[in-house]
Amino acid sequence: MTRIPFTALPAVAFGALAAIAPQTFAHACQGHDTPGACHYAQQAATGIGVAMLAIGVIALFARPAMRAGLNAAAAVIALLLIAVPTVLIGVCPGAMMHCRMVMLPTLIVVGALAAICCLIAAWADLRADRADRARTALAAA
Amino acid sequence: MPHITLARLPLENLRRRPLRTAMLIVVVTMLTVAVYGGALLAANLGDGIDSMSERMGADLMVTPQNTGTQAEALLTGSSSGTFYFTNDIAALVSKADGVARATAQTYIASLSADCCDGKVQIIGFDPSTDFVIEPWIVSQYDGALATGEAIAGSGINVSADGTIRLYGHEFPVVAQLAATGTGLDNAVFVDSSTVPQVIGYSAEVGHAAIPAAYADKAVSAVLVKVADGYDAHKVADNIAAASGLDGLGYVYPGGLTATTRAGLDTIVSYAAAFLAVFWTMGLIVLVAVFTSATNERKREFAAYRIMGATRGTLVSLVVRESAAIGLAGGLAGVTLASLAILPFSTLIASRLQLPYLQTGALRVAAMMLLALAFAVATGVLACLASAVRLSAPETYLTLREGE
Repeated sequence: MTRIPFTALPAVAFGALAAIAPQTFAHACQGHDTPGACHYAQQAATGIGVAMLAIGVIALFARPAMRAGLNAAAAVIALLLIAVPTVLIGVCPGAMMHCRMVMLPTLIVVGALAAICCLIAAWADLRADRADRARTALAAA
Repeated sequence: MPHITLARLPLENLRRRPLRTAMLIVVVTMLTVAVYGGALLAANLGDGIDSMSERMGADLMVTPQNTGTQAEALLTGSSSGTFYFTNDIAALVSKADGVARATAQTYIASLSADCCDGKVQIIGFDPSTDFVIEPWIVSQYDGALATGEAIAGSGINVSADGTIRLYGHEFPVVAQLAATGTGLDNAVFVDSSTVPQVIGYSAEVGHAAIPAAYADKAVSAVLVKVADGYDAHKVADNIAAASGLDGLGYVYPGGLTATTRAGLDTIVSYAAAFLAVFWTMGLIVLVAVFTSATNERKREFAAYRIMGATRGTLVSLVVRESAAIGLAGGLAGVTLASLAILPFSTLIASRLQLPYLQTGALRVAAMMLLALAFAVATGVLACLASAVRLSAPETYLTLREGE
């Protein structure tokens, strides 16, 4: 029976959430005459989410060592998800604007949780890889 | 085989039973989320009410007929509105017995349309008579507010060039105030001499806030400070008699604050009772798991004793295992609750429709530490029964039963 590599799931789950949230409940402000910063932050966040989701799906079929690397990459991308609405692009300045009230905190929370979970998953993958190597060495001896 | 020291033994034991450890951590995490999250929300609501009390400088608010509810909603920040008298109400109110000070204010709600940066409450006040807004503004802006200038609440979207667009006109914003957790955060304050300008601009964009005929004399409310020894309700009767107007609306800001605080206290007490029950249930689950696990580990503890471990060593081992679970669950709980509450404070405030002010960083840090201590204490408390059994003199014989 094939075991599901649980360490790939954080990237899949948070990647899907980061891709879907900005296009649904955590959307940018609506009704601007011209697209504002929050619109571009929304589009960038969706792209980053899709990339993280793709990394997670690839990790489902990878060996532990490679999965550790993919999870580390997903953690870095999660930090990028936080940087997009805070530093790189930004959102509208008004405290009561939907993008600042909902989209910004949602992306920060998803990014922070994704970074923490992916780093823990990478650490677990490295341990699994070391155990695999030890077993292989023992069998060879 | 790695060398395991006595110091590392508790963590190695926890790692050896990953599922049990994970489930116990989940229980402590849930307890911490409930306790820390509940305490943080209660603190923020408490700060919001305190801030609201500080901002209510008047004992009585006289409003037009049937606008009392609208005025209350404006004070608590649940909605904005436009209402006004068509007579010289301020002069009539000032004549009444028991009125120490009286000042007129004009409320205009801007539009959430292309003409405006957003729907905000515009408050026109008279600095020469004001005793409600001026003392608060002076603490943050010491200049005089000129005609055509505005002071913005903390939630107002001020553009990069320091202006706000209302009814198609850019008003220069001379200062932005600190957050209060009340509706005043979404208000723009202007001198009463600016009000006719605002009304004029609103007419120009086809959304006249107040008819042009009343532009110079429109007053939404008269705020009253009652004289010493007078009751606000009695003064309200005097105002009705002096003005000859029967249908005036009266709002008592002090009573409004007290009502809001009483309602909040009721909610908090119910929530505290629920949390106490929840915590007791969680503790019972933890005690059951620890007791069962200790029972299952009789052989293991007997082996430690044979290797020379004292009863104190065994108790210390169990206590450190549970403390580690408490710490891990506490860290996870504090992190999750903080991520769910702190970044979303503006959203929570707007949804609650109650005065809500994010408490200071130092207090939040102190609450985090307390929550961690609480989680560790819960873990240790849960293993006390097992520890007492292990420390009993006949423990060795009990443990031998497992052999």
